[in-house]
This record gives sequence, C-alpha cells and structure tokens, in this order.
Amino acid sequence: MIRNIKHRPGIIRVAKATISCVLAVTFIFSFGVRDTFGQRRFSRTYPAGKNVRLVLMNRSGMVTVTGWDRNEISISAYLELPAAQIAPQSLTDKIYINLVKDNQGRDVGSVNFEVRVPYEASVDIETTIGNLNVISVRGGLVRARINSDGDITLTNIGSATVAAENVTGNILFDGLIVDDGNYRFSSMQGRITLRIPFTASFRLVATAPSTRSIDLGTLGGGRMRLLSDGRRIVGQNGDGSAIISVTNQRGSIAFLKR
Amino acid sequence: MILETCGESPTDDILPPNSQALWCRINNLIETEIKTTPEPVKKGWFSRGWNFTFSQVGAAAVGIVLISVLLTIVGLRNYFEPTADDFTSRSTASQTTFEKVLSKVGLVETPQQARERRFREQQVAIDYWTKRVALRRAQWDGRMRDAFDRNLYVIDESVNEYNRLLQSNPEDELSGEMLDAVMTEKMNLLRAFSDL
Repeated sequence: MIRNIKHRPGIIRVAKATISCVLAVTFIFSFGVRDTFGQRRFSRTYPAGKNVRLVLMNRSGMVTVTGWDRNEISISAYLELPAAQIAPQSLTDKIYINLVKDNQGRDVGSVNFEVRVPYEASVDIETTIGNLNVISVRGGLVRARINSDGDITLTNIGSATVAAENVTGNILFDGLIVDDGNYRFSSMQGRITLRIPFTASFRLVATAPSTRSIDLGTLGGGRMRLLSDGRRIVGQNGDGSAIISVTNQRGSIAFLKR
Repeated sequence: MILETCGESPTDDILPPNSQALWCRINNLIETEIKTTPEPVKKGWFSRGWNFTFSQVGAAAVGIVLISVLLTIVGLRNYFEPTADDFTSRSTASQTTFEKVLSKVGLVETPQQARERRFREQQVAIDYWTKRVALRRAQWDGRMRDAFDRNLYVIDESVNEYNRLLQSNPEDELSGEMLDAVMTEKMNLLRAFSDL
C-alpha cells in the first residue's frame, strides 16, 4: 500500500490541500465563536415573573423582542467592534439595560439585540439609530422609540398602552385595540400603518399636516370628520373607549383591517 | 364787741340776700367752668376724621371681595404652566368671554402671546442642548454625524414651515400645536445625541 501511495502524487496533493483547509478552519475557530468576523456575542438569561418589565436603551443597532411562554428573559447581543460594554441590571420585576449610559463618551460599534420575554411582559425599548421590532407581546405597556433613523415594527401586540415614535422611518402596528387602551404613534417622516380590527372601540385623532394623506380604508364610515383643511381626521369607532393618536408631520397614515 | 358791731350798722340797712340773683350768679359760674373744660377730640378712621356709613362700608367690602377673587383667578392661571392643550394650540376664537376680557385688560396672555412665549422658552432650551451636542460631536463616527444632521434638517424644515403658516394665519390652531410638537421633537433629538 505504501508503494501505491508513493506512485500517486495526485493523492498526496489532495491530502496536503485537505490538511491545509482543516488547519485554516481550526485557526479561525481557535478564537472562539465570540470573535467571529469582528463580532462579539453576549448572552444571558434571567428568571422573570410574568409581568416583568424590560427596559433597554440601545445606542446604535437593532432590537428585536419576542414573547414566549417561559418565565425568563433571554438576552442575546451581537456586538460590532469596538465592542460596547453591556451591564444589565436585574431589579425587582425589571431588567434594565442602558448602553448609552454605560458607554458614554466611548467610540463603540453597533449592538444588535435579540430578546425573549414572557408574553405578559411590558417592553420599553429605545435606540438612537436602528430598527426596533416587538413581536407577540401582550403585557401592560409596549413603548418603542427611535431618536433618529429607523423603522418600528410591532406585530401581534395585545397591550393596552402602546407608544411608537421615530423621526425618520416607517411605523407598522399590527395588533389589538383593547378597551380603555391608549395608543400613540408619531413620526416626522415616513409611513405609519396601523393594522387593527375595525370592530374595535376607539376615538381617533389622525394628523398628517404636510401630506394630508390619511387613508382610513373602510374604517369609521360617517363618524369620521375632516378638520383643518383635511390635515386632521377625528372621529369615533364603536363606543370610543380606547384612544388612538397618530401624527405624521411630513408622511402618510394608513389603516388596514385586521 | 358783738354788741358794738351790731350797734354800728343799723339793722334796718342790712338787706336779706336776693335768691334769684344768687342763683343766676351760680349758674353763670357753672357754665363758665363747663366752657373752659376742653372738649374731647372726635377721632375718625385714619385719624382724618372720616366717617363712613354702613352702606359705604358694605360696598367697600363687596368691592374688596370681587377684586380678591379676580386676582386669585389670574394668579392661579399664571402660576400653573399651561399645557400644550391650553394656549399653545388654542386660538382667540376658542377663548371664553371672560378670558377675552382679561386678555384685553392685560391680566392674561392671548393664545398667540402664550404660544410665542413658549416658543422662546423652547428655543432657549434648544440653544443649550445645541451647545452640548457641539461638544460631543467630535466623538461620533461618520454614521452618527450623518444621522444627526439628516434628522435635524427634517425637523428644522417643519419648524420653518409652521412658523411661515402662523405668520400668515396666527389663528391656525393646528399649526400652533404641530409647531410645539416639532420643537419638542428637536429638543429630544438634541438631548439624545448629547448623551452619546
């Protein structure tokens, strides 16, 4: 057999190439998953009651919060270099993360968060630049604020108090309108889309002062009226128990039936 | 000696006292004593001798109560800072008659004056945060700087537009409300970036 290998230089070349590849892959992974492709990873899990409140203030990057049926909060973060410092605080019924304060004055990269919370949790997330997503949460409060650019997507939300604000970017809300709830959406420029049950009971104030583009679809019928030269629509659907306030300074507003 | 004295003047020359004259003399003496006693000085209010009737006092009390009530109302309204739903978004048309009267007298601000005052206050705060941002700006990366400039431009465009609308129509309630909202948004943007 040894005589056979000596007389097959092709096999030797293939073997050398294979060994080189294995060594290269081993070299790359020798730094660990945490430092792959200039990113670091942060991961932590906290026990949490059903009504826990997540407060997360990001500096730059995406935040995605998804509800699940476990009584714990799982935080995973992918940190671009230079890596930011993450120091979560676990308080009574509250998980508090403030990257802005923890990295003030430092030049740090973006941090993208993926967080899992109990379905009944309250979510309060904010970032300076980046997108915010909240999925399948029905706790007391959902608040999402972007201080500059970014899209906000709130999907399958069942909370009674919802606030979504950005400066430039789109806002999509898909969820229920709970009786006596309070829903506030505000943007300077972009598109605000609300996908809600048209059988819900709410009072509406929708303002698009620059574009006058407010598309109600089949909502409201004759109970909605235009004000201020069409820049604002006010009205009531059902018995008007909840309040919906939508303001888009230089963009449009649209309602879709859920 | 008594006999000698009696003998000197005949008893027929001694006249009995006239009671009438004597009483008149005593009466005059008493009246003279009364006149010389100084009369007590009558002291009126404020030592000036003012005397008020009951109706005058009643009318003065009612007037004082009315003025106190008005001043209290004005003081309370000026003490509590109006919210954005108050004068910043209101127009003259939505004022009550009482408020219009107070505005004309100068005891309260008109909605336009209140809006202008609030705009000046917001501008002072914005100037402060702008200076804070200028100190931090050098530490940002290019992406952060671009985002800040882009979003500030969008907000300033809206501020200028609403100011133009309000100059041409000061009664435009909606523009007043929106101007307040975008000024607040500008402050929030500056405050957020000053923390970076």
